[in-house]
Amino acid sequence: MAIAVVIVLFLAGCKKKSDDTPIPDTGHIAFKFTHLVDGVPLHQDTFCYVNAAGNHFEIDQLMYFISDVKLHKSDGSIQLIDDWKDIDYVDVNIPSTLMWDVFDPIPIGTYDSISFTFGISEAKNKSFMFVNPPEVNMMWPDVLGGGYHYMMMNGKWIDTLSIPQPFNFHLGIGQLYKHNVIEIDSIYAFVQNYFFVKLPSSAFTIEKDKTRQIEIIMNIDSWFKTPHIYDHNYWGGAIMQNQPAMQIVKENGFDVFTTGLIQ
Amino acid sequence: MRYLHLLTVLFTVPFFSVTSAQGIKDTTIHLSPVEIHDSIVKDKPFLIKTIRNEEIQKGAVRDIGDYLRSIPNVSGVRKGGAGIDPVVRGFKFSQLSVNVGGGLKVENGCPNRMDPVTSHVEAEDIESIEVLKGPFALKYGPSFGGIINLRTENPHPFEKFEVHANAMYGFETNWNGQKEHLSVLGRNYGNYTSGKIEGKDTTFNTSFRKHNYTAKIGFSPTKNQSIIVSYDEIHGRDVLYPALPMDEKSDDTRMMSVDYHLRHMPGKLKTLDIKIYQSDVNHNMDNSLRATWATKQMVSIVNAVNTGGRAEFGMQFSKFLITTGLDVENIYKDGTRTMTMQMMGTTSTKRSNLWKAANIQNAGFFGECKTTFSSIELLGAIRVDFNNADSKDTLKVISGGISYFDKTNSKFTNFSASAGITKKFSKKMKLSLALGRGTRSPNMLERFIKLMAVGYDNYDYLGNPQLKPETNYEADLTLTYSGSKTGSAYINGFYSNVHDYIYSTMLPSTLIKPQTAGVLGVKQFVNVDYVTFMGFEFGYTSPADLKFGGSTIGSFTYGRIPEVTKYLITGTQVTGETIIKDDALSEIPPFESTLNVFYKMVKGKLVPQLSIRAVADQHHVSQAFYEQDTPGFGLINFTVKYTVNKNMKVTAGINNILDKAYYEHLNRKIIGSTGNLYEPGRSFFVNLFLNI
Repeated sequence: MAIAVVIVLFLAGCKKKSDDTPIPDTGHIAFKFTHLVDGVPLHQDTFCYVNAAGNHFEIDQLMYFISDVKLHKSDGSIQLIDDWKDIDYVDVNIPSTLMWDVFDPIPIGTYDSISFTFGISEAKNKSFMFVNPPEVNMMWPDVLGGGYHYMMMNGKWIDTLSIPQPFNFHLGIGQLYKHNVIEIDSIYAFVQNYFFVKLPSSAFTIEKDKTRQIEIIMNIDSWFKTPHIYDHNYWGGAIMQNQPAMQIVKENGFDVFTTGLIQ
Repeated sequence: MRYLHLLTVLFTVPFFSVTSAQGIKDTTIHLSPVEIHDSIVKDKPFLIKTIRNEEIQKGAVRDIGDYLRSIPNVSGVRKGGAGIDPVVRGFKFSQLSVNVGGGLKVENGCPNRMDPVTSHVEAEDIESIEVLKGPFALKYGPSFGGIINLRTENPHPFEKFEVHANAMYGFETNWNGQKEHLSVLGRNYGNYTSGKIEGKDTTFNTSFRKHNYTAKIGFSPTKNQSIIVSYDEIHGRDVLYPALPMDEKSDDTRMMSVDYHLRHMPGKLKTLDIKIYQSDVNHNMDNSLRATWATKQMVSIVNAVNTGGRAEFGMQFSKFLITTGLDVENIYKDGTRTMTMQMMGTTSTKRSNLWKAANIQNAGFFGECKTTFSSIELLGAIRVDFNNADSKDTLKVISGGISYFDKTNSKFTNFSASAGITKKFSKKMKLSLALGRGTRSPNMLERFIKLMAVGYDNYDYLGNPQLKPETNYEADLTLTYSGSKTGSAYINGFYSNVHDYIYSTMLPSTLIKPQTAGVLGVKQFVNVDYVTFMGFEFGYTSPADLKFGGSTIGSFTYGRIPEVTKYLITGTQVTGETIIKDDALSEIPPFESTLNVFYKMVKGKLVPQLSIRAVADQHHVSQAFYEQDTPGFGLINFTVKYTVNKNMKVTAGINNILDKAYYEHLNRKIIGSTGNLYEPGRSFFVNLFLNI
């Protein structure tokens, strides 16, 4: 009896299953990140720039996150890039991060524009979300709101005494302090400083099985001039605990990004 | 309790153990342990390998998992100096059932399997090891790919009061390892050095310290009944695992059991065996001995308790020998991970669950029937398991209407069966065929683990509470020849088709992000359609009474998955995927063969033995797992055993005489690199055994 049972079960075990699912027509998209100052590619570690406030400055490091990239169609539909990755890290010192080959298959068709979040939304910006370098190095202290920096732009400027001073032009979760006493115990609220960016002139088409490469340009000089003139001599070198300064950075961010080559 | 007699008491006192006895009417004669060379095929239609402690004592056994690798088609996953995890015919982890002392089960504490069950038992406590291949033996619990029975020494009855002691001292160069065994065992091994790699000695961080205590008390209420109460503790400290992200800071394991045996019953019921047990593992691991500790501290603490029992009835109805019974086990597991990161002068700490009061209950009923018709032996077995799992997890991973980790309760009824036939063509030759279906439910790790790098590949893993059981359909064919003058030989082939094979698939980082530094992302356990294993093994052993003799073994396993997703990696990120057809399964050992030659001198008291092991290249590797080819190697080992008298014995030898730099295919890579974890280079060892 047991032998018969085993043989029946054994034979039953040799079935093979199959699954045929139709695959929609899609292409792919890739983003190339370029960084310009006054329309010229960034040169690091040299005092060759002057901002709108007249500060002579240099950029040494630039790291930032963009997230929740959306591709907009004229009919109002939106293709959100989030199949495998919804937060992208860019670091001018790590060439591999200057190109994002998006994993998501993108339905073929014409898209009107691209938008994204600069930084990380409140819902997603959680401590210990990243545990590996380089992203982990963007950690924002828990006592200051936690999560991760949206941007770290580190460099130097020549102060009013003609002495080079370091600046950490950092953007992340801001804090409100009781009686403007900048101490951890005085914090009574946090401010989300991420913002939305809509890339101008970013219409494109996706063709079947082809990859569309879109250049996203960060115009670094724009962080310092519109709509507010940002003066390092006024705000100083560290702004992580200076919400008014970060508010200006946030508001200046609206036109920092432009669209480059689409190919 | 008129017939209650004290059989044996082992006191766990330093450097001495005492055995005492009071009068028992029956005389029991204790024979010296007998060496059994490759007694592969017994009266079962599938392969069973039994090794007695005499055989184990020949070598420098630091770890049972290490020793098991000398058995055909048994290999092991090495991640450090100890805790080698056995692999039988490509089946591993919970696909193998490992029983201690006739049915005690241990749930390992470490999610990375630093502490497989074999690491919770000391070789010096072993009376014999039994390896049963395939899903055919169903009375030891759910059986899937094989069973490893670690039979520990039990108290023996004595006619009158007697005092006995046994002792062992061993030392091994290279590791500077030493072990002492009386009733207290202590082991202290340093880092080992491989053979010269590119002309240089390379030392690996593989040191470990272990000690254990064992106590057993036996009673004999009547002459055909016995009760044995056992208590065992084993403690590990600073056990280093260079292939894992953390080291074992401490591991404290307790095993307790009560056994009742009834023999020589008149009537249909011949024997009765009952066992109840509990094992309790407290495992603590961290990265305090790593460079990363300065900026990121990881500490994991896990408690795993397995409580259960079994009852087995042996009956005879005419020509039919029937074994039936039931077994139950309840596994409880709870563990936390604490991560502390230092950043910009501040400290952030996160505490999360690895398991949260997770439970698995399994109750099984089994029956086995054996009979003989003329030259044909038949064996049939069936087993039904009722499996229930639950957890107090609060994690929910739900996206797009799909639940990845939410509902934690699952219930399964698993049916397993096997049948075998042995045809004796003559007194010397027989042919056996075994067919079996073995089903196992997913284990604690596969169901409930949360974000630990526990696999072969570089990903954090997430459990899947809704996994289905996997089922192994296997066929074994074995031809055996045994002659008193010619020796014994066998050849075996097997084919296995595993349905609902538990594999893994990557989850998008938008869904869940890893928690382990250096990993590429998160994978979740899933069932895939099927995979296949096939292979063969052979062996020959010369007659035991020859002065000059030897043995040879060889084995090969091939595993494939018909279709699998390979994740494309650019830098440290997954950037795409592609489908691979007919890929190899990962961690399948290559073909290997071993030749042993011995010569008995001084009336058999002095026996030198030379062993040559040849292992082939492994090129059949998993593309999906980015598994690397491994080169073949050859090893020469030498041992000598000298029996001074009935109370004293010395074994000594040289392992890896040529100081070959080599690594097994299943050895994991050094964490955070593609560097290989080599095996130890040349080492000398000596063991002294006293038995009074």
